[in-house]
Amino acid sequence: MLQHRPRWWPSFTSTLRSTAVTARIGRVLGVAIGVLFTTGLLSHYQYEPWQWLPVPAKPVWGYRLTQGIHVAIGIATIPLLVIKLWSVYPNLFRFPPIRSIRHALERLSIAILVSAALVQVATGFLNVLNWYGFGWFFPPVHRFLGYVLVGSVLLHIGVKLPDIVYGLRARMSEADVLTEIPWNENPESHSNAGRLPDPPTPGISRRALLVAASAGIGVVVITTVGQTVTPLAPVGLLAPRQWNRGPQRVPVNRTAEQAQVGPIATAADWVLQVVGPRPYALTLADLEPRAVHRARLPINCVEGWSVGADWRGLSLLEIVEQAGGTAESRVQVVSIEPVGYNRSFVEGPQLSAALLATHLNGERLDLDHGYPLRLIVPNRAGVLNTKWLNRIEILS
Amino acid sequence: MKAWRIILATAGLLLGAFGVFRLLTEIPTGSLIRLGIWLLAALIIHDAVISPAVAGVGWTLRRTVPDRGRRYLQWALIMIVVVTVIALPMIFLRGSQPPVKALLLRDYAANLTLLIGLIAGVTAMSYAVRVFRDRRQRITREDHSGQAEGDQLG
Repeated sequence: MLQHRPRWWPSFTSTLRSTAVTARIGRVLGVAIGVLFTTGLLSHYQYEPWQWLPVPAKPVWGYRLTQGIHVAIGIATIPLLVIKLWSVYPNLFRFPPIRSIRHALERLSIAILVSAALVQVATGFLNVLNWYGFGWFFPPVHRFLGYVLVGSVLLHIGVKLPDIVYGLRARMSEADVLTEIPWNENPESHSNAGRLPDPPTPGISRRALLVAASAGIGVVVITTVGQTVTPLAPVGLLAPRQWNRGPQRVPVNRTAEQAQVGPIATAADWVLQVVGPRPYALTLADLEPRAVHRARLPINCVEGWSVGADWRGLSLLEIVEQAGGTAESRVQVVSIEPVGYNRSFVEGPQLSAALLATHLNGERLDLDHGYPLRLIVPNRAGVLNTKWLNRIEILS
Repeated sequence: MKAWRIILATAGLLLGAFGVFRLLTEIPTGSLIRLGIWLLAALIIHDAVISPAVAGVGWTLRRTVPDRGRRYLQWALIMIVVVTVIALPMIFLRGSQPPVKALLLRDYAANLTLLIGLIAGVTAMSYAVRVFRDRRQRITREDHSGQAEGDQLG
C-alpha cells in the first residue's frame, strides 16, 4: 500500500471549511430531513390510511399545512444539501482512499447517503414541476428512497457523533480546518488537539458564509412559498404555481383533456348513479335544488400548492343516507376518467364533512375542475378529491 | 455516547435495509435500473463536475481578488448560486404545462435576473460603504498621528 500520497493528489487550502461549520449546517439539514420524513409519511397516510384509523376532517387546513411544509422545506433543502456537501468535499480525497474494511463500508454508506439525498430532493422538486422524465412511478420510489435516506442519515449521525459533538461545541472562528487530512491526524488543523491560534479566513468568514447561505435560502423560501402561503403570492418570483391564474382562481392539476372526459362529462344526459341498498340516480336537474351546502375549504395538492376557495354543493352523507347508507359507511366515489386517480374512498369523519361540489367561487364548476360534479373534503390530498363523478358506491 | 452511537447506527441500518427491501420487492426492474443510473449519475455529476468547478472558482478568487473585495464577492456568489439552483429547472421547464394548471407560467429567467441584480446591487452598495468607511478611518488615523507628532514637537 502506498505510504505517501502522490504529488498530484488534491490538497485543500481554504480555511473556510471546518467541522464546526459542517456540524452547524448538518444540524439544520438533519432537522429538515426529519420534518420531510414526518410530513412525507403523513402525506402517504392520506393515500393509504388504516381502515381502523381514517384520516380526520379536522383541522380543515391540516394537509395544507403539512404538505405545504413538506414541499417548501424540500425546495429549501436542495441548496442546503449542496452547501453541506461543499463543506465536506475534501473528505472525498482522504489518503489512502481505503484503509480497512470498516473504512470501505463507511465510505460506501456515505455514497449511498449522498446519492439518495441528491436524487430524493431533485426528483421531489421535478415532481412538483410535473416533469416525470426520470421514468419511474414517483410516489412509492420517493417513499422507499426516503427510508433509505433517513436510515443512512441515522447511521451517519451514529458514525460521526464524536465529530458532531466536537463541531457543535467548538467556536466557529477557532475550530479545525477541514481538509483532506482528518483533524485527528493533523495537529496543525486547529483541531481539539490543543489550543492553537485561530485559522485566518482572509475572505468571507465562516459565520458570514452561514449567514449568506441562510439569506439565499431565505430568498428561495420567500419567492417560492407564495404558491401555498397565498399572501406571499405577489413576491412569488420563483413560485411554480400561481393560484390566481387557474380557472375560477384555483389551479388545476389534471385537465379535462388529459383525463379524456370531455364528451361524457359535458353530455346533457349525464347521471350520477348511487349504488347501495336502495340504488337511485340523479340527473343534472336534480343537482341544483340540493346544492345548498356551502363550505370554505382549501384545495391542497401533494405537489405543495394550495388555495382556499368557496365551494357549494350537495352533502355526500345525505346522498349516501338516501341510498340506505350511514355515517359509518365506507364509500367509493368514481370518476368518468378512464385511468389514473379516477376513484377514491371516503369514510369516517371525512364522509360527514364531504361535499359533492357543483359550484366553485360562485360559479358553476369549470370543466377542468370536475364539471358536473366533484368531491371536496377538508384535510384531504388534492388528487383524492375526485373530479367528474358519475358513480357513488356504498361499500359497507 | 457509545450507546447512542450503537442505537443510531442500528436503527439507521434497519430502516435503510427496509427501504432497499421495499424498493427491490415492489418496484419494477426497469424503474430500478433507471433509479440506479440516477443515483450513480448524481454522485458523478456532484463529485466530479460541480464540486471541482466550485473549488476551482474559490481557488481562482483567492488568487485574483483582494481579501476585502473577495468577502463581498463570496457573499453575493453564495446567495446567487442558492437562488439559481432552484430557478434553473423552472427556466428550462417553463411553458411545458397546459395553462389552466397555472404551473410554470412565470418568466423565471427574467425573475432570476432581477434577483441576481438585487443581490449584486445590495452587495455592491455594502462594499462601497465599506471602502468609504475604511478610507475615512485611515484619514482620521493619519490626522491623529499628525497631532501626536505636533504635541511632541511642542
